[in-house]
Amino acid sequence: MAISDVQEYMHLTDDEVDQLGRELDAIRKEIEESRSAKDAAYINRLIKIQRYLAVAGRLTLLAGTRSRRTRLPAAVAGTTFLALHKILENMEIGHNVMHGQWDWMNDPEIHSSNWEWDTAQPAEQWKHSHNYVHHQFTNVLGYDNDIGYGILRMAREQKWTPFHVGQPVYNAMLASLFQWGVALHDLDIERIRNGEKDPREMKRQLRQILRKGRNQVLKDYVVYPALAGRQWKTTLVANATANLVRNLWAYVIIFCGHFPDGAMHFTEEEIEDESRGEWYLRQILGAANFNGGPLLHIMSGNLGFQIEHHLYPDLPSNRYAEISVRVKELCEKYDIPYTTGPLYQQYGQALRTIIKLSVPNSWTSSDQPEPPTPSRSRKPKSDSERPARIKELGAWSRGKSQERQAS
Amino acid sequence: MNALTEADRVHDRRWVVQCALSRICGGCAMSLGRPVVFLGTPDEVARNAFHLPPMHLACAEELRRTPGADPTWRLVTTSGFEFVRPARDDLDQQPRFEPNSLLGG
Repeated sequence: MAISDVQEYMHLTDDEVDQLGRELDAIRKEIEESRSAKDAAYINRLIKIQRYLAVAGRLTLLAGTRSRRTRLPAAVAGTTFLALHKILENMEIGHNVMHGQWDWMNDPEIHSSNWEWDTAQPAEQWKHSHNYVHHQFTNVLGYDNDIGYGILRMAREQKWTPFHVGQPVYNAMLASLFQWGVALHDLDIERIRNGEKDPREMKRQLRQILRKGRNQVLKDYVVYPALAGRQWKTTLVANATANLVRNLWAYVIIFCGHFPDGAMHFTEEEIEDESRGEWYLRQILGAANFNGGPLLHIMSGNLGFQIEHHLYPDLPSNRYAEISVRVKELCEKYDIPYTTGPLYQQYGQALRTIIKLSVPNSWTSSDQPEPPTPSRSRKPKSDSERPARIKELGAWSRGKSQERQAS
Repeated sequence: MNALTEADRVHDRRWVVQCALSRICGGCAMSLGRPVVFLGTPDEVARNAFHLPPMHLACAEELRRTPGADPTWRLVTTSGFEFVRPARDDLDQQPRFEPNSLLGG
């Protein structure tokens, strides 16, 4: 069921929503004021570990594979180190740095303005499609492109077409090639298909993607294998495997964020004149957590606290665990559902939804209450309806910007 | 014609939100650099709460020189900022930016 008014859905009064907002604000303020050297040490330590893993992986593959006796264990170890380095860089470091979680440190490197993560998608495009489109319009049908990524039908309100019969296959492909799916995400393939995308912007983005993607391919499939000499095939396979592991892991974690049962969708009516309290409420209702220990949470970018991440996307991720205790208490106080469960259950529900929604609604039953709004084709919003990247500002515009000219 | 009209998007709420979350410059729409710059009236500077979106230094200085610009605007630099959405009972119903690591003005 897609919600058009979160306050009404939760049977909360204006005062209760405002009070909830104030209490969530208080948590934010407390965390902001307590950011300290301890938090800075956390991210610095993590980056150090990630880089040691990268070096260990590369060296193990370069040196350990020379001898026939050590070749197989070195290949396995090297692949493992690389996979761990890529997962950490992608999930706990890159994603969170680009949200601005660590900007307060004034570190010249660990800053959302210049962090370029180790995947094919340019950081600038990620910050648009994820930080802005997904986090501002979280789970709003027709606005949030993460509801299916333009290829999967993930809500019963999304119109079924025969194309969707293949979505278990598309899902498997997306999972294995997740890095490249993410790379194309900000292009908004559906708008390109409908001829609604600004061609100049599309070309600019494609140039960026090709440049970044080319560098990624060169690094993992040309340069490092070449450095390995006669064992180039072992290194190439190891790099490909590490990328695959990272892709699959990132895909599972991300699909657990908004697709398990209990994570709701919203109509565009919800976001009209949405107050801060209502925005908070939509984030809680639109996200899902999963349970786990500290290591699992670090390896998943602390997205096991997806609810807390959506409430406070720019607060340091290492604080989400302590924040979650307070958020859960507030949810109990206001009788707001707090969706969580074991990782296997959350992903299992997401996978079940993908399979179920590959066929018409009439063939299956809903795992959520029936939607009051009938299923219809919800065209993603055009640039003019949902603010997209600014195209033209006139003389005082990107045309004069040094950064624009450099791109 | 007021030349600032072309740059009036800095007062557009949707654009302000996009700049905040995408971490892009309100002037040229490219990724923000470091430091991040805010332009504000003396009152905004005193309250550490700005309404114009974050900008590059060059873009902020250019906006200040644009005919029609507020002559009282002052420039502050910061490494990071908090983005504050208005609550229903806030007197100020505009989204605002609160620098969290001021570097200077």
